[in-house]
Amino acid sequence: MYFSKPQNVIMIVLLVILTYLVVLPLVSIVLDTFKVHSSELMRIRGANVGDFTLYHWKGVFTGRFSSYIFYKPLWNTLLVATVTSIIALSIGGFLAWLVTRTNLKYKKSISTLIVFPYIMPSWTLAMAWLDFFKNERIGGAQGLFTALTGIVTPDWFAYGFFPIVMVLGLHYIPFAYILIGGTLRNMDANLEEAAVILKTPRLRIIRKITIPIVMPAMLSTLLLVFSSGMSAFAVPAFLGSPVRYQVLTTQLFRTLNGVNPGYGYLIGLFMIGVGTLVLTINQILLGKRKSFTTVTGKSSNISLINLKKARFSISIVILVALLLVTVIPLGVFAIQSFLVEPGNYHLSNFSNIFWVGKGSPDIANGEPGILRNKYIYMALWNSFALSLLVALIAGSVGILVGYAVVKTRGKPLSSLLDKLAFFPYLIPSMAFSATYLSLFAVRRGIIPPLYGTFLILVLIGSVKYLPFASRAGITSLLQIGKEIEEAAIIFGVPWWKRMFSIIIPIQKPSFLSGFLLPFISSMRELSLYILLVTPSTQVLTTMLFKYNQKGWTQYANAIVLLIVVVVLLSNFIINKVTGASVDKGIGG
Amino acid sequence: MKWKEILVFAVITLLAVSLFAASASLIAAAKKEGKVVVYSISSRISNAAAAFEKKYGIKVEAYDLHDYELVEKVSKEAKTGVAGADFVIAQDAGRVFGELIKPGYVYTYMPEDMKSVIPAEFQDPLVFAFITKVFCYNSQTYTYPPVDNIWALTDPAWKGKFFFKDPFKEGVNMNFLTMVTSPEWSAKIAKAYEDYYGKPIHLTTPNAGYEWIKGILNNGLVMFTSDTKMSESVGVKGQNVKAIGLFAYTKVRYRTSKNLALMPIMGMEPFAGFYYPAYLLMVKNAKHPNAAKLFIEFLLTPEGFEPWHHSPGVYSSNPEISPFPGDNAFKIWKEILIGEDGNYIFNHRAEIEDFWGSFAY
Repeated sequence: MYFSKPQNVIMIVLLVILTYLVVLPLVSIVLDTFKVHSSELMRIRGANVGDFTLYHWKGVFTGRFSSYIFYKPLWNTLLVATVTSIIALSIGGFLAWLVTRTNLKYKKSISTLIVFPYIMPSWTLAMAWLDFFKNERIGGAQGLFTALTGIVTPDWFAYGFFPIVMVLGLHYIPFAYILIGGTLRNMDANLEEAAVILKTPRLRIIRKITIPIVMPAMLSTLLLVFSSGMSAFAVPAFLGSPVRYQVLTTQLFRTLNGVNPGYGYLIGLFMIGVGTLVLTINQILLGKRKSFTTVTGKSSNISLINLKKARFSISIVILVALLLVTVIPLGVFAIQSFLVEPGNYHLSNFSNIFWVGKGSPDIANGEPGILRNKYIYMALWNSFALSLLVALIAGSVGILVGYAVVKTRGKPLSSLLDKLAFFPYLIPSMAFSATYLSLFAVRRGIIPPLYGTFLILVLIGSVKYLPFASRAGITSLLQIGKEIEEAAIIFGVPWWKRMFSIIIPIQKPSFLSGFLLPFISSMRELSLYILLVTPSTQVLTTMLFKYNQKGWTQYANAIVLLIVVVVLLSNFIINKVTGASVDKGIGG
Repeated sequence: MKWKEILVFAVITLLAVSLFAASASLIAAAKKEGKVVVYSISSRISNAAAAFEKKYGIKVEAYDLHDYELVEKVSKEAKTGVAGADFVIAQDAGRVFGELIKPGYVYTYMPEDMKSVIPAEFQDPLVFAFITKVFCYNSQTYTYPPVDNIWALTDPAWKGKFFFKDPFKEGVNMNFLTMVTSPEWSAKIAKAYEDYYGKPIHLTTPNAGYEWIKGILNNGLVMFTSDTKMSESVGVKGQNVKAIGLFAYTKVRYRTSKNLALMPIMGMEPFAGFYYPAYLLMVKNAKHPNAAKLFIEFLLTPEGFEPWHHSPGVYSSNPEISPFPGDNAFKIWKEILIGEDGNYIFNHRAEIEDFWGSFAY
């Protein structure tokens, strides 16, 4: 009987659910690009809401204004994504090589610090950049850098393309480091070792052996960072607006919130298309060599390259650079969150009103300090509950996906589920939430409209981060021999007991990363939630975005610190309690 | 005669009592609901909320939203039937009329006792207050207004020195730009051009209003996401700021608390800025309608308006509430500012958005 096997039941149930939560929203967004929306009555004369129209397709791709609506932001997006991935790959890859292949000092501190920029929300660095480097273009109040050195930063350095790719590049360096470092660490070192014994020059070894072997990992990094860079929203929103630099996501946000959402749906659809294309290329490149690293069978370690005299200086440079991008921004936030009068760094100008003040009517309209603000606590609670639920759901479903996919390996449905569970990864966050906005804003059959509920946030978060968990689930189940479970089946052990007593315990650390990554990603997520929150379901990040847009910098800086502290603390606790850590999985 | 007087007196007393009774029953009903949720475009709602909570013991959830967010959220909530706001303080006339009032998602509730107080033209939809945005300069850098004609802002001397809120981030700014291109205002702008340059304007766009918009964009206009930030940037002391900003006049209240040097350019030709109404509107599927009605009434009284009364730039629709000491009466501002014509905006804003976008990005 087909349904007597638990893996088949799980498979069918998951396929149905994922079709509903991943495929249907896409259908809905496609339909929405042909519809007249209520806020567009100003724009599409004489039409009624819901009418069929080609207005959006014409306007975006061939219209008189398509250049500013679509083509220019598209070009900027492609440029940002490309340069970002090159920065992340070259620096991250180089660091990974240094740590795994040379006798660099302070490896442990470097490894710990390097994941920081990734754990922190990417826009914290963007905010720090603004606080630090802003010039008179947007404000009489100068940045900290100008205050300290007297040097006025040029516009190109302070705003727009350059800082956007710098900040995004920095944010994704850890990503490259983890992916390439992992391959370097796990690869069979015998080849390199043999070459060393044959006295092959070091550079030749790197060129002929190391690089070819890590090539797939490098390509993956390039493509994954490219697609992440393409879907970045907050960083370009913060750093681009003073010089009117637009990318697709900022256009998406504007149009969906403005008077032409149809354009937004179309831009979102286009981004999903590009994301899919990029990741398909990645799959094809990787698919050619689909072997999995096994837990055992790793050869002895390769002898490390001696950096000789440069050893100390290189180590110090790296360590200082890492401190600069991790500790300094946090320090800047801390300082700025105490300044009453912006840009005045005299001690008398420091005050804790933005933290614990009762609120005075002449500063930010009497907004109380963030530790006294009930709405901040509400958002903090929402963020925490949301991330926890997302992690639990994504993590558990990820294990089930892994089980179903691995147990029915080779069958067409198995690879369908595999692809479906990974698909949300390809969809840029904001485009994905646009699809949910489109699907769940009205009643569909028995499903009531979910817009405005907490549930819709939980749903979208769980689906969006399922790829992390399903990857973890699939790879770890592949590493478990069939024999173990078969032995239990012969003894008549029921399915749930096999899961909880055998399978899960064996691969616990790996499964745990399937819970941890969704949690941390959700804690620092902005673009996925910003279109879907309503005032009572605000999370910390959307709250921060609001404060920032209002220009209440001090409150915003204080909230950033709050988010970073919560994320780091959770990461630390989970790491200590369970042994799971971010650098064991992939990320986005 | 005497009997008649007594009769009139009795009727009046009865009326008054019944009025008070209505109000008392409203208070009772509101207290029974125990809670009210408001979305507002002004963050000062939280102070009013605290006062309201204190007075009636009714819990308030007050959320401060961008105007576009407010329209989005309220219309989505109304469509899906999700319980959200009970009433709103909304701005951006074009969208409020077209997307909220017309489909019936919100409606006007006019408190009985206020009918005789609030001028009739502000009663439907009910105006809460008028807000002004005015050209301002740094009064430490300049003793006198450095310019007196809007065309100066298109001059090379002011390249990159004119600050304006990103009109895609706040609809009222787009409404202002739309009004600039209206026949009435574009004619005035054309005349201002002649006054400034001494020759008639040569058009490359539909009219002088468009021409001015193109001019400021090509002259390195800097867009801000926040009026607060803009006021700090223009008004900061000791930096010799040579910039002009068009932002909410109420920000001049930061003069002391944030040590800013800000003065308005009231003599700017042909306009010194613009103004727009903020409306008080009940939401169709309000869960706490009585508490909302009570709060609306409260906001129209001096007591409820108190948080907005701390500063210039906001003017209650209730004529009994005087402007901030030292500020002009709204009547004076109205003469020199551009107002919103909902109909013109609804029909032309999309064109201006595209025009703006194509030059701005």
